[in-house]
Amino acid sequence: MDRNQLTKWFKAPTKMAHKYSLHAVYFCTGCGVIEIPPTITARWDAERFGVIPAATPRHANLFLITGYVSVKTLRAVIRTYEQMPEPKFTVGFGSCPINGGMYWDSYNTINQLDKYIPIDGWIAGCMPRPEAIFVAVTHLWTLIDKDMADGYKRYRKHYAQYRANQEQVLGELEWPPLFQSEREG
Amino acid sequence: MSLELLMVVALGGSLLTYVLGRVSSRLRNGFAVLVSLALVAMVASLYGKALHVSYYEDFLGMSLVLRVSGLSWLFAMTASTLGCLSVVFSLSYMKGKERTSFYYSMLLLVNAAMLGVVLSGDLLSLFIFWEIMSWSTFLLISYNGGPALAAGMKYFVMSFVGSLAMLAGLLTVYGSFGTLEFGGVAAGMLSASPGYILAIFVLFGVAFGTKNAIWPFHAWLPPAHSEAPSPFSAILSGILIKMGVYGFLLIIFVLVGLRNFMALGADGLPLHTVLSIVGAITILFPTFMAIMQNDAKKLLAWSTVAQAGYIILGISFGTSLSVAGGVFHFVNHAVFKALLFMVVGTVEYRTKGVRDLDSLGGLIKKMPLTFAVALIGVCGLIGVPLTNGFVSKWLIYKTLILERSPFLALVALFGTWGTILYSYKFLHNIFLGQLPEKYKDLERAPMTMRLPMTVLSIVVVLFGVLPGIPLSVINSIDTSFGLKPLNVTLWGLASDTGALNTINILAAVFAGLLIVWLVLKSGGRKVSVDQADNYAAGAAIPKDKYQYSVGFYAPLTRMVAPYLKDFMDSFYMRLAGWVGGLGSGIRRIYTGYVGDYAMYIVLFLAALIFVQLTWSPW
Amino acid sequence: MRILWLVLSPLIALAVGLFFLGLSRRVMARIHWRYGPPLYQPLIEIFRYFTQKGSSHGVLFGLGIVLSLAGSIVVILFLPFGGICSMSGSGGMLVVLYMMLLAPLGIALSGGEAANPNASIGISRKLMLALGYELPFLLIVLAIMTHYDTISLVDIVSAQRETASAFASFPLVLSGIAYLLILPAMLGMRPFEVVHAPQEISSGPIAEYSGPYLGLVTIQHALTTFIGISLFVNLVWGGAGNPFVFFLKMLVVLAFGLFVNAAFPRLRVEQAVRYLWRWPTLIAFVGLILVVTLGR
Repeated sequence: MDRNQLTKWFKAPTKMAHKYSLHAVYFCTGCGVIEIPPTITARWDAERFGVIPAATPRHANLFLITGYVSVKTLRAVIRTYEQMPEPKFTVGFGSCPINGGMYWDSYNTINQLDKYIPIDGWIAGCMPRPEAIFVAVTHLWTLIDKDMADGYKRYRKHYAQYRANQEQVLGELEWPPLFQSEREG
Repeated sequence: MSLELLMVVALGGSLLTYVLGRVSSRLRNGFAVLVSLALVAMVASLYGKALHVSYYEDFLGMSLVLRVSGLSWLFAMTASTLGCLSVVFSLSYMKGKERTSFYYSMLLLVNAAMLGVVLSGDLLSLFIFWEIMSWSTFLLISYNGGPALAAGMKYFVMSFVGSLAMLAGLLTVYGSFGTLEFGGVAAGMLSASPGYILAIFVLFGVAFGTKNAIWPFHAWLPPAHSEAPSPFSAILSGILIKMGVYGFLLIIFVLVGLRNFMALGADGLPLHTVLSIVGAITILFPTFMAIMQNDAKKLLAWSTVAQAGYIILGISFGTSLSVAGGVFHFVNHAVFKALLFMVVGTVEYRTKGVRDLDSLGGLIKKMPLTFAVALIGVCGLIGVPLTNGFVSKWLIYKTLILERSPFLALVALFGTWGTILYSYKFLHNIFLGQLPEKYKDLERAPMTMRLPMTVLSIVVVLFGVLPGIPLSVINSIDTSFGLKPLNVTLWGLASDTGALNTINILAAVFAGLLIVWLVLKSGGRKVSVDQADNYAAGAAIPKDKYQYSVGFYAPLTRMVAPYLKDFMDSFYMRLAGWVGGLGSGIRRIYTGYVGDYAMYIVLFLAALIFVQLTWSPW
Repeated sequence: MRILWLVLSPLIALAVGLFFLGLSRRVMARIHWRYGPPLYQPLIEIFRYFTQKGSSHGVLFGLGIVLSLAGSIVVILFLPFGGICSMSGSGGMLVVLYMMLLAPLGIALSGGEAANPNASIGISRKLMLALGYELPFLLIVLAIMTHYDTISLVDIVSAQRETASAFASFPLVLSGIAYLLILPAMLGMRPFEVVHAPQEISSGPIAEYSGPYLGLVTIQHALTTFIGISLFVNLVWGGAGNPFVFFLKMLVVLAFGLFVNAAFPRLRVEQAVRYLWRWPTLIAFVGLILVVTLGR
């Protein structure tokens, strides 16, 4: 943890501020919901590292999607992701968002979450232990430091592709495209 | 400028408007605006003059007098200005309605009658103009028919009782002093006994209190204000009911005299204390009633009752500070309440008659200017610093604290918090929140509506930032009442115990706004977000349903509603029921048979003969 | 000198307020048996908010929050801070009472413009709660103003410093106790946290704020905490002769609020208003009656 190194604060204050105030939207789709309370409460105390749960996506900059993503949930996941202010970081939690996991052949879940929204990091496991969240957060710090947590930039760049993928699963979307010009281009 | 000419223009203009309406509606509209503008100019030219003319000599041995003083000038100016703005506002509001000539004619007649009331120099002229005002008001309140007729009837009956009391007072005064001119009455009052003064005060107080709708005579006001056409509601709430305030000022300071008034019941329960307690009740109870209303105009109507309480509270203390506060609050209330009624009128006009607070919302996106003026009006109503309501309420609070009446001060300050609740509900449910689908293509307000609202909102801010302008006028009224003049500066008050200085507040607020605005600008990029892109836990926003306005204060309402019974209103309604029952009981004797009537005559004669034979009185 | 303090006092208030926010998170964490974030965590977060992209919902959305924050800054100028009061002669306590309106009003306007019912619910709760605590608060303020016979805050403080603080003088001690009872409600701490209620109405009025707007709201929160506590210290604890002692007194009051905050669950708004209109009002009312009767 380089939070106390003053030189780093002078060099890249924005990055440091983003690193140490990760306010998270925990999108608990089904499983994974039980790993969150011990993480944020007295057992593991995520607030030590500036990670606290946010009430709405508007306040957050970290998006944690835990467990399988059904088609119905995907709609909400996309809405929530789009409502978060940039810069924003996403972490898929558990094997289901990565490749479908045990639901890989289900008619009602999607297999690869990063076809629909950009993901900056994954936590594998079914389920991962709460400590894994801390591992993910430290990795995310490194990625932010190296400018590699750029999911939101990718989303903007390849929005047409993402939108097409979303429409393929969900059909006609009821909200207008987030980035108008990129889609036409 | 002679006063007779003014009255002739006012009354004749009203009549001519009706005649012209037969010829062409455009001509009539133009003429009505012209007359009201001319009245404003004529009244304005009277500033600082003290005229006294008798326009009718030898009526039952008295001459009828018109006169202008500082007090009547202020009221006349407010009345004519509001009348003019209201006529302009009516131009679009009344478009396409029926009986418009009648409407304009009556509007100008009310205006003329109000000028007459404040310019009369004797009690008889006052009474005559008072009656003209009451009658034409009744006709305008019941203009829309249906529930409006019932509301108008309620107003009329209560106003009639008030007028009767006034007539009784007038006759008593005439019987004892032989004159009705203010000067003569005041001279006679100097030597009158306290019991006599009290009786006169109560008789006139019932008349003025009914017009001013102070508790317990408030029952007519909420239905009347909400059912009248909106431009007239503006006049009704802004100035017409303040004729009661004028009456109170007249009787306390001109007729009875302050010293007599303060001495009434000084050994037991002083009358001015009773009046201030009535004022406090008038603040507290209607404020909570207003919080519970769902009709925009009814909410404003209850708020009018509550604000009238502040004015009465101010006047009843009879110090220079408190009278200045009361009179200034009258002016301010006239301005911002007329503004708010016009706002409701605009919304009503654009949404085709919707004023239900539960079914509107989000109109700020469609009517930004209307919202801005509504916000200014509401700020004045609450008394946010740098609006006019702040200064007048500050004067009243300061009086209450200096006079060591912390409980009255508590009611006044607490009433202000209630005011915040209902005025935010008013703003939120009409203008904020989600815009319903059906109002997606709403147009903004027409020019003739925006103009009067803008003028009024400028006045709200102007009097708040430069309270010295109106306060110097009010100071001269204070002086004419024989009170110590206040130390007024352009920016507020310089008094010995805690001064008020709006320029400091203004500078501080502006500096604060500037700094914060710069900080906000320096922050990251901002994008505009549509209401359809709001946070709803990832779900799509349900159209027309993502709005919290029904039962806005439901928990509070649940708590206080059981204690808030308008028992005066139910008392009046029961009284009306009894009188009605009595009437239908008496009606039974009219059976329609000639034989019965012949029997009544015979019985009556028999009774007379019996009386004569027994007691031989004749 | 006066100009200097005009500039400095909002900055001091901001620093103290932010320190209080950080401290209260830390103290709450320790009560929870956790480590908690560093003391400067609020600063990090505000910096992060200001570098994020904000989403605006209209002109009033930005204007309301600017108005609210400006109102708080002006209130700070009117409050004595241990012998320093930048604007003492411009209307006294009545102006402070009124200027304190601007902060909730601004937030209410801007939250209402956001067209989110969570915000509207939060605002309606805030206004009802405010009506609840204003009644005892006004009783307290009036008792103090009547007792010292002035509406000027500076005079109230100096009168308390000459004799004894309100807490230590007889009829006013009741007002002081009542003030203690309503203090958590005025600071928006639990059990009166129903306005924001993150789990229930998604932080209420601030549900739609993001980026710089959220930053301003956090600053506003810091200033509100500062105002609430310093008003308490000035009105019933006699203020202080120098800023340092004043700061220490504020710390004690904050600690009291935090312990209450940690120990209680959230009340519904009706329960809160019922509580506020019962015991604190009763005590404050008795206090005012005693002040009026004994004073004459």
